[in-house]
Amino acid sequence: MDPLRSYLGRLLLEEITPVVMVLTTPLAEAACRKSGLSVVDMLSPFSLFKKIDVPVRTASDQPYRLQMFKIRMVYASDVRKQDYEVADQRIKPVVSEANESALPDLLSDPPQLEDVLSKPEAELCPLWIKKFNRALMRTLSFSEHETFDHPVACLLVVSSKDNEPISKFVDLFNTNQLPSLLNEGIMDPQILKHYLILHDQQDGPQEIAMKILAEMKSTLGLNDCKLLCINSSTEADGVDAENSWLPYIKDFMQDLASNHIIPYMEQKIRVLNQQEMSGLCYFMLDQSRKDAEYCMDSAFSTYLRIGSSGKRNATRCGLWWAEMLKTRGQYREASSVYYRVSNEEPSLHSAVLLEQAACCYVLSKPPMLRKYGFHLVLAGNSYYISDQKQHAVRAYRNALFVYKQHPWSYINDHVHFNVGRWYGVLGIFDVAIKHLLEVIACSHQSLTTQSMFLNDFFHFVQSMGKKFDVYKLQLPVINMPSLRVIYEDHRTYASDADVNVSESIWQELEEEMIPSSSIVRTNWLEKSPDLRKYKDSCVCVVGEAVKVSIELRNPLQIPVAVSCISLICQLSTSLDASSAENSVLTTGAGEDIANTKPAISTFEDDGNNFTVSKLDIVLGGSETKSVQLEVTPKVEGILKLHGIRWTLSDLLVGYQYFEFDTKRKTKKGKRGPRRTLSNTLIVIKGLPKLTGCIDHLPTNAFAGDLRLLKLNLRNHSEYAVKNIKMKLSHPRFVIPGDLSEVDLEFPQCLRKHVQSEISTVSTKRTQGDAKGLLFAFSQDIKIQGGATFSWPIWFHAATPGNFSLYISLYYEMESPSEITYRTLRMHYNIELRVVSGFLAKFKVVEGVVFPSLDVSFAIRMCSSRLKEYIVRMDVLNRTPSESFILHQLSCNDSKWAISTLPLCDSISSIETVSANQSVSCFFKIKDLGTDSCKKAENSSCRSDMLFLSREGNSNTEFDVSRSPITDFHYQERYQQGSLPSLSQMMTYIGFITVQGPRDLLDFILISKAVGGNYSKSEPDVQLLSHHVCHCSAIDQSPIWWFMEGPRTVAHDFSKSYCEANIQLVIHNSGQHNISARVVTYDSVPDKSQTVNMQDSNSNQGGWYDVSLENDIKAISTAKGTHYQKQSSESISPFVWCSLSSAQVELKPDTSTKVPLKVCIFMPGTYNFSNYQLQWKVHSSEVGQVDENQRSGGGQGHPFYVSVLQDAQ
Amino acid sequence: MIVCVAVVGHQNNPLYLQSFTEADDALKLHHVVHCSLDVIDERVNNPKRNAPALNETFLGLLYPTENYKVYGYLTNTKVKFIMVTTDLDVKDADARNFFRKFHAAYVDAVSNPFHVPGKKIASRSFGARVSTIVKSFGSGTTA
Repeated sequence: MDPLRSYLGRLLLEEITPVVMVLTTPLAEAACRKSGLSVVDMLSPFSLFKKIDVPVRTASDQPYRLQMFKIRMVYASDVRKQDYEVADQRIKPVVSEANESALPDLLSDPPQLEDVLSKPEAELCPLWIKKFNRALMRTLSFSEHETFDHPVACLLVVSSKDNEPISKFVDLFNTNQLPSLLNEGIMDPQILKHYLILHDQQDGPQEIAMKILAEMKSTLGLNDCKLLCINSSTEADGVDAENSWLPYIKDFMQDLASNHIIPYMEQKIRVLNQQEMSGLCYFMLDQSRKDAEYCMDSAFSTYLRIGSSGKRNATRCGLWWAEMLKTRGQYREASSVYYRVSNEEPSLHSAVLLEQAACCYVLSKPPMLRKYGFHLVLAGNSYYISDQKQHAVRAYRNALFVYKQHPWSYINDHVHFNVGRWYGVLGIFDVAIKHLLEVIACSHQSLTTQSMFLNDFFHFVQSMGKKFDVYKLQLPVINMPSLRVIYEDHRTYASDADVNVSESIWQELEEEMIPSSSIVRTNWLEKSPDLRKYKDSCVCVVGEAVKVSIELRNPLQIPVAVSCISLICQLSTSLDASSAENSVLTTGAGEDIANTKPAISTFEDDGNNFTVSKLDIVLGGSETKSVQLEVTPKVEGILKLHGIRWTLSDLLVGYQYFEFDTKRKTKKGKRGPRRTLSNTLIVIKGLPKLTGCIDHLPTNAFAGDLRLLKLNLRNHSEYAVKNIKMKLSHPRFVIPGDLSEVDLEFPQCLRKHVQSEISTVSTKRTQGDAKGLLFAFSQDIKIQGGATFSWPIWFHAATPGNFSLYISLYYEMESPSEITYRTLRMHYNIELRVVSGFLAKFKVVEGVVFPSLDVSFAIRMCSSRLKEYIVRMDVLNRTPSESFILHQLSCNDSKWAISTLPLCDSISSIETVSANQSVSCFFKIKDLGTDSCKKAENSSCRSDMLFLSREGNSNTEFDVSRSPITDFHYQERYQQGSLPSLSQMMTYIGFITVQGPRDLLDFILISKAVGGNYSKSEPDVQLLSHHVCHCSAIDQSPIWWFMEGPRTVAHDFSKSYCEANIQLVIHNSGQHNISARVVTYDSVPDKSQTVNMQDSNSNQGGWYDVSLENDIKAISTAKGTHYQKQSSESISPFVWCSLSSAQVELKPDTSTKVPLKVCIFMPGTYNFSNYQLQWKVHSSEVGQVDENQRSGGGQGHPFYVSVLQDAQ
Repeated sequence: MIVCVAVVGHQNNPLYLQSFTEADDALKLHHVVHCSLDVIDERVNNPKRNAPALNETFLGLLYPTENYKVYGYLTNTKVKFIMVTTDLDVKDADARNFFRKFHAAYVDAVSNPFHVPGKKIASRSFGARVSTIVKSFGSGTTA
């Protein structure tokens, strides 16, 4: 680019061309004024000579031809250093003027990235900025130490009308009008002077002027005097009169320049050879760019180093420098120069300079937008400080787009906030609010910033003076994904939380209870063919609220008050269904609603068709609340849920439309096709509706806890319902009771009645399996409109852990209606935190070990009785603070009789198990056989055993054969039997068939809670029943054997040895033929005795064969005789006689006796256990028997006989 | 003294920005960091200036503002580290050393399985580690 044509080139031509100082007399001025001009104005247009073509010879002595020349004409009165303040005053209007014109722009939208990049430079850097730059440079005019503006010549103008023109010329140069600089000697007083006599031809003939000229020439010098004739008349000489004198001026100026000023300057330059201007000269000559830059840089730094006096020069130098760089396309460098200059200037100047710097960053290749934004922000700040708010807003607005793209929210908020605030200051509240809306939901800012934003926002909203609607107001934030529409068609819910349960769970539960759903659907859809297009829409009922739950989140740390939260709904009755159809089309897409000016008012509460709930909440800092909004349709039709509206701090209304995403809809369809998100609901005629709940259902309980609860149902409509059925998901925990139980007092109702008439279990109850229990209420039960209905429910905390109880209640309408039946779904989460039961372990829930009773049983065959077992019950109280009273132990079957051990009455005294205590008690059970039920009636032989309690209420025996205990027991048997770990744990030895393990019996332990923290806080805990099922004996074998015979024998050993006849009874309780062999041996193996001793600790049963070695010792000592070592070295004091081995055959369930004889040689107490019994299943039947059960054997049981010396 | 460190994601989104000054100049530092991205962009797009250092992560002095010096560092995943200091004569070795430690801390922070890539780094231990590194800056331990 030709430097001369560049902006800077033109600027320099204008600003630092030679100055001609003009001195005029008032009359000369007056002559020109007639033409509406001043002398300078008149001459200036002719001061540019484009093709002057004058040969010159300057500093380098190299002659060249000056092609172009320009001079500036300045009044002498203006040739003075300007006062800084005055200069400043001149600049300010330039900016302010632009300020006013910026206002309309501010109402438009802020520019975007593309806008800025596509703008030409001229637009980016508006004209007023150039004006400003020039004004800023001019503040330096006529400064003391530089000659840019020092006049090179002086033109003295005198009118021909002046008296004594010659002396006027002299006066002009001598008066005090002359610039002080000239007088002070800074400027050369020997300046080139040129004298001009101005003659208006209207004032008289030219001869007068000629005469004066001649006089001047003689006095002031021949070549320095000129006559200029002008004609102020516009009328007299016609059209071309005005132009007639123009050539004269032109000639005059040409002459002045070429013949006087240039030669003069030529001469001067040769003398001075100034270097100050070399940088600019380099530029103008378009040579040596580096040098130009270097010169400017050093000039700039030098000016700065000088201090305050050089500041203005530095500024001007910087501006020139920047222009120079811009001309060369070095925009980035230019902007940094602007930035440097701006640091030296007062805020207003620096603002403009910074804005120019910003423009340069956009213009640089590639554009540096971030710096552009930053410098605009800086400029905006400076503008604001200088009270140029429009400019400030403009600068900030232009920067907005830079920060939008990336989440530089900190800066973005600041910009938006300031733009908003300044708009507010300017009184443009709507735009102010628009910008502030962007920042009021800034969660990342500090509390003080947030409250500052919010306060300003509210302030401007109040200044607006009216409530207005804001679409998608971000305060509070609506969590759209949390949106749930809760409506009830034929499915109703006991509580809203139950809706969240997956539909498939309910469907599975209700499978066998409800009629096939397709039939039902067609039934009511067929009736209203108009509604077929809404086939997939949901159905709700007149008078029943449709609930919408949605989460509101406060992003701020400041609490905000949100009031009048309500739904935006529309209900079109079937009559204007077509219009509804239209609105479906127009409002189909979610975004469209927003764009098509949402007429909120049309959605106002339509009191005739529906009512909406209004909710007021206060959201604390960073709080999220889920709100439930309701709309209750009053007429049949199509209900549409459009959105949500709310009032923020009673100042403005926010609203947002629901986003029903169709994609999500299909996705959800897989799970449950009928519970999709839809905003359109069909409203159908009113229906009866039951509500229900279970009273006092514990949310946590002791394991084993048994309670009687009440299911309360209420019919809210005026119509009756019938044919009620109920399905329960967990019959192990909850079963329905019998109507007779509803008024009974618990636990007295469980007591055994003297009359045994109630032994039958309710027959209408079909026992459920894992899928649940279906219970049909009696057909004649109807719940009338407005009536309530109660039904007993038994609760048993069977096992510890959490479970979800689902109950679905089915009922049919008595009157015909669109929907023939409805279901009431109830869902309870129950946490059985207390660990108990047969396989219980510690369980830690939420860091707390919760209490429990561990009950376990060990059963062992009795070695001295047939068909009797000895049972040890271990009860461990795992609670940290609870005590339990053991109340009753029962068997499930009346063929078993429980009794205390005859010699061990103490077990009855065990009644209370304190915290962390473990007790064991022993008792025996007897197999009475199937045909011995009669015997069971005998009080001494019962299947129930009471523990004696202090209060002596021993007669409060509970009937385990009655509902509900027997029902729960059935469930427990089923549950415990199905657990594989259980069968692994148990040692099944006997009664094992190919079909699987067979167990002996089940125990039911009933206990009561007494005292302790838990029961105090919840006095309901009364009764606990623990069911331990499928118990079997540890050492069970099909063969029972024991010795029979006299326990005491008196014999006179002085005569002969003693012979004792004893017999071994062997019983086969198995189902196969068994052959058994008895082998006797005389030596007592030491080993077996010691092994017994050592085994005692590890013996699972907890008891062992008591060796009476010590007793023998004691007896011997008591008798005063010497202790004889029972060792193999001595001869055994008794020997078996008769046989050493016998074999017997046993049919199933038969006994046989093998006679044995012992010879005893001396008195004492002897244990005749040194025999072995071996048995095996008959070879013909081996195939049917389990491997382990084919054969077996064992040592003889201890049998003590005391032989006394008969002292005859 | 380091007044500010920042991590900027490969889409020029701020991931971490921590100032270490008492004064309330967070906004200013945000601007400084934001602006230095322009310089980084320029350096990355015109690599001819420092052609020999093809795999160089350290970007050197980005630009000197009136009060600050801004240094940059670019990881292989185009994540930028920016450090703003008030020290007027910072040794390049010190700056490199700082960024090396900072990079290690960053890698550990984003290796956290609970960190979501592209989200702001909220780890407190990262913050603590960074302040340790910042404190040790320029203490003469160039090793």
